[in-house]
Amino acid sequence: MSFLAPLYLLVGAAAAIPLLLHLLRRNIATRVDFPAARYLQRAEQEHSRSLRIRNLLLMLLRVLLVLALAVAAARPFVSGFGVGHGPTAVAVVLDNSLSTTAVNGGAPVFAKLRDAARNLVLASAPGDRLWLVTADGRVRGGSREAVAAELDRITPSEDAGDLPLALRRAAAAVQGSALPARSVAVATDAQRSAWASAVKVDVPTALFVPGGDPPHNRAVLSAEADPGRWTPRGSIVARIDAGDSVGFRVLIGARTLARGAVARGEPVQLRVTPPERGWQALRVELEPDDFAADDARFAAVWVGAPPGVVVDPSAGPFVSTALTTLVSDGRATAGTDVRIGSADAVSSLPALITPPADAVRLGAANRELARLGIPWRFGQLEGGSGVARGSHLDGITTSSRYRLVRSGQAGADTLATVSGEPWVVAGPGYVLVASRLDPVATTLPVRAAFVPWIADMVGLRLGAPSGDAGAAIAARPAGSIHLPEGADALENIAGTRRSAAGATNAPEERGVWFILRGPRRIGAVVVNAPADESALARLSADALGARIGGDRASASQSASAWIRDTYASGTRRPAITPLLILALLLLSAEALAVRTTRSAAA
Amino acid sequence: MESPHRADLFDPAALATLGHIEVVARWIVDGFLSGLHRSPRKGFSVEFADFRPYQPGDDLRYVDWKIAARADRWVVKQYEEETNLRATLVLDVSRSMDWKSAPALLSKRVYAEQLIAAVGLLLLRQRDAVGLIRFDDAVRTCVRPSARSTQWRRLITALADRAGGRASDLAAALSQAARLVTRQGMVVLVSDLLVDPEPVLANLRGLRAAGHDVLVFHIMDPAEREFGMTGEAQYTDPESSLAVPAAAADVRAAYGATVAEVVTEWRDALSAMGASHELVITDQPYTVPLRRAFDARQRRP
Repeated sequence: MSFLAPLYLLVGAAAAIPLLLHLLRRNIATRVDFPAARYLQRAEQEHSRSLRIRNLLLMLLRVLLVLALAVAAARPFVSGFGVGHGPTAVAVVLDNSLSTTAVNGGAPVFAKLRDAARNLVLASAPGDRLWLVTADGRVRGGSREAVAAELDRITPSEDAGDLPLALRRAAAAVQGSALPARSVAVATDAQRSAWASAVKVDVPTALFVPGGDPPHNRAVLSAEADPGRWTPRGSIVARIDAGDSVGFRVLIGARTLARGAVARGEPVQLRVTPPERGWQALRVELEPDDFAADDARFAAVWVGAPPGVVVDPSAGPFVSTALTTLVSDGRATAGTDVRIGSADAVSSLPALITPPADAVRLGAANRELARLGIPWRFGQLEGGSGVARGSHLDGITTSSRYRLVRSGQAGADTLATVSGEPWVVAGPGYVLVASRLDPVATTLPVRAAFVPWIADMVGLRLGAPSGDAGAAIAARPAGSIHLPEGADALENIAGTRRSAAGATNAPEERGVWFILRGPRRIGAVVVNAPADESALARLSADALGARIGGDRASASQSASAWIRDTYASGTRRPAITPLLILALLLLSAEALAVRTTRSAAA
Repeated sequence: MESPHRADLFDPAALATLGHIEVVARWIVDGFLSGLHRSPRKGFSVEFADFRPYQPGDDLRYVDWKIAARADRWVVKQYEEETNLRATLVLDVSRSMDWKSAPALLSKRVYAEQLIAAVGLLLLRQRDAVGLIRFDDAVRTCVRPSARSTQWRRLITALADRAGGRASDLAAALSQAARLVTRQGMVVLVSDLLVDPEPVLANLRGLRAAGHDVLVFHIMDPAEREFGMTGEAQYTDPESSLAVPAAAADVRAAYGATVAEVVTEWRDALSAMGASHELVITDQPYTVPLRRAFDARQRRP
């Protein structure tokens, strides 16, 4: 037994008052004249036994009454007794990830989870502490009313969230509380992929997982434009997950490009040559099902004429051969839009620049880089072997490369590194490679990735209109992004605009958001839900309980049982109500004893 | 229907505030007699003794019509046999009689004095000889029985004596009464009977053996009947200093039962010897004890 206000136990000393009055009544100091005292004496003698029993009973009732009131005032909590629950620190993890929008049994799973969470919050007592943690890991605390109001404002997220993170934060919140009882209450659809990385928490955990199997889901797992710039011909490649053949539709902007059906397991690949130009939104969609969030997926593409490319002989024969291939494929033309050559040979930008073939030309090459405004210089020649990382160049080895030395403050991207040092860097109008594109210096020219890499550099990096982002930026809903300099706003195909000034996160609404600089589209942010959310397979409640709470977890498909389990961690329950009832009964018994005596007298 | 102006029906405490005991006793007796439907006097003898003024309720057969015609006033004839009754009123003036439980009530003694005065006047108006004995631990006042017209004044004067207020020696008072009443007569005892019963009963038995009618008015304060006290205290008898500690609420029921037993014991013991017992509570009007006294008188020849 414990007490919230133990000082009130001192009131129990008042129980001595009726006891002392009973024991000391023969020494009462007050004297009252009463001529018929002889009758009083005779009455006491004749009724001494019943009077003694009655007085003892009254004394006992009064002592117990005082004790019951004193203990009740001290607000006791006892195990296995009482009404309600003891003060408990409760953190409610509400799974509002995208998968909870799946309709199950006629209603979204999220609605069931939120209703259960609301009932749990409303079942809390004034002495409890409450937190609400959503799938994105955001923690909200406050009174019962504040948390309930916050619950009403929460909507399903467009993202998968991070439920293991939410669970850890919930556990940390209750562990920081001074209350003796702590509990984490998790309401989730138990999606297997969402809880894959969960670890046990050292807090009693109550799980609510609504019953029923997840709906059969058809999903567009991915949709991409291939290549990233159409000149103007290109392909849309999509992967669709469905239990059977399913109809699909492909749109560019609001125009339907194609309709069709795809068999189970087959990818969708559609070659198109659209008449549109500039940045365009692509959408691949399926017939709606009970989980609508993944019935459509988005992509963005730049559509325009292929860039004109001129290759200086200093670039080497492998580059010339690759360009010939690109020209024959229609992804480049002979022209002067983009130059490829050694640093001492290119005279203008945009250009793909390699080191000079002869080391004696290194000084001239660096002077030319400076003249073109490129903030990099070729440094010392490194002869050792190295392995490249990044920009689809993983596994490429180098045997000869120059150290790239930064010489200015202008912005630049490092596309690939070797031994932790920049190997391929890019900036406005240039891509600089630290090795000659020759098998003597690197294996890149003889690898399959060489021609696509040249195509990407020429088409996306260098062939784009001046200032373009080059490639579309893929992002999760509200995920972090890095917008190109000068971006003013984001705009979707419905015309909804958002300011891009200082933006570091993508919009939460899924779709294609064009990056605007003034009136011109200079790129696109493509917001899609994580493909993992389409896998609605669930863990059983018990399996999830074992994964996150071990022996200290309880799992239930019933909201009422979940609420009971949550507050069961406060095994010491308040006993004030039973004690007040006991006091009332004692008072009634005392009044009845007195009244019975008076009635008999009457 | 009872008259609303009959003083015998008034609240005794309210009545006591209206005048001196002599005046109030007259109101009480007048009111009491006006409530009777016939003359209280019966068995008038042929042996003429005196005239007295007519009073309401007198039998018209005894009005002297000649005097009425000659002097234009009504008188009735009285006869020698009417003065045969000799009544002795015995009043307890011990300290216990001075007690009252509430300021709005009369003490037992004041109530008893008022009752004695009324009974005395009632008897005197019937030409009975009336005497008075006041006692506490000894006989304090003794007025020999007489039917003279001055006797009423003597009784009132004796009642006005404030002496007394100690313990009760009722047996001695009754012995004195027996000596005063030499002829067969009536003894009216007014007391709270807070005494040992046996000596008293023995003396009363002697009075009955001598042929006297005995009427006992057992005076009680309402709080003595129901133990209307509150709180926890040492309840002390002012005469004997007997102190009984008690919580009023705790013993009220037992006390009530005990008092009922005591009253029954007195009534049974007195009935067994042919005496009358009347319990009188000090908040009751005087009409009930007066009726008992009147009935007792009427039973006499």
